[in-house]
Amino acid sequence: MTVKTKQTKKQPQSTKGPRKSKFQADLAPTEDRIVRGLKQELQLSSNTDFLSDALALFRWAVGERRRGHHIFSETETGERKELVFPRLERVAPGVALPRVEISWTPRELESLADLASREPAHPTETLIRAVRG
Amino acid sequence: MAVFIRRLEEQDEVAPFDCGDERLNNYLRRYAWANQQKSSIGVTFVAIDEGAPRTVIGYFTLATASLPRDAFPKEYVRGLPPYDLPLLARLAVDRRFSGKGLGHALISEAFKIALRVADDVGCRCIVTDAYRDKIDWYARYGFVPLEGAAESGLQRMFLDIRTVRLAVKSSP
Repeated sequence: MTVKTKQTKKQPQSTKGPRKSKFQADLAPTEDRIVRGLKQELQLSSNTDFLSDALALFRWAVGERRRGHHIFSETETGERKELVFPRLERVAPGVALPRVEISWTPRELESLADLASREPAHPTETLIRAVRG
Repeated sequence: MAVFIRRLEEQDEVAPFDCGDERLNNYLRRYAWANQQKSSIGVTFVAIDEGAPRTVIGYFTLATASLPRDAFPKEYVRGLPPYDLPLLARLAVDRRFSGKGLGHALISEAFKIALRVADDVGCRCIVTDAYRDKIDWYARYGFVPLEGAAESGLQRMFLDIRTVRLAVKSSP
C-alpha cells in the first residue's frame, strides 16, 4: 500500500495559507495490514488523519526523550514497562554508562597517552561507512 | 531481514544465542542482564530481527573504564582530571547470522553511543579488548593496538574519538 497525503499545490490568492507538502511511503504487506487495522480501530477515515495522529504521537515521544523523560506503560496493578526505541534513544540527552575498573599495564598506559597526544588519524573507509547510517 | 538494535530487556531470549565462543555466549545468557540491571557494570545492546522480536542475534556491551591517573605517565598527567573512557567490552554475532554485516551494524551503533557520551561528558578515545584473531577486524575501523598487553591475552585497542568525529564529517 502507498500512504499518501495529497494536497493541492496552488490555492487561490485570497485563501493562501501555509504550503502543504506531500508524503508518500511504500509499505510492506505486513505494515499495510497494520495501518489498515489501526485505522479501523481508531476510526480514522483517511491516511492523512492517520499520519497526522501518528506524527503527533511521535513528536510527543521525541520531545519527552529529548527532555530526558522516560516513557512507561503501567498496568492496573502498577506493573511498569519502559518503552525503549532505538531512534528515540538518539535524542535522549545522555547515555548513562556504568563505570568499571579494568587493569592496565604501565606500558599500555604509556602507549595510550602517546596515541591520545598525537594528531587524530584519518578515518578509515570502514569507519566512515559505520558512522554514516 | 530487518534488524534493529536496542537495549537488552529482561524478556529477551538469550538461550539460543550461539556465536561459537562459549565465553561470549555465557556472558549474554548468564550475566548481561544482571550486570545491566542489578550491578550496573555494563549496558548490553542487542540486535533483533523484526521477524522474531525477542530473539537476540547479536550484541555488544558498553561501559566506561576508569583510567588510573596515578599510574599514568607523569609527562601526560598535568591538567588531566580523573578520566573515564568508553569501553567496548564485548561484541558478538550469532553464527547463523554471520557474514550478513551484523557486526558492522553493531559497532556502528556503538560508535554513535560513544559519540554521544563524548558530547555529554567528554572523552578522548574508545578502547576495546579484542581477541587476537579479531585484531584485524577492529583495525579496519581504525582501532590501534596498545603496546604492552600480555602476549597470550586479549589485545587492548585504541580509537581516537576525534577520528570518529572526522568520519562523521567525512560522511555525505
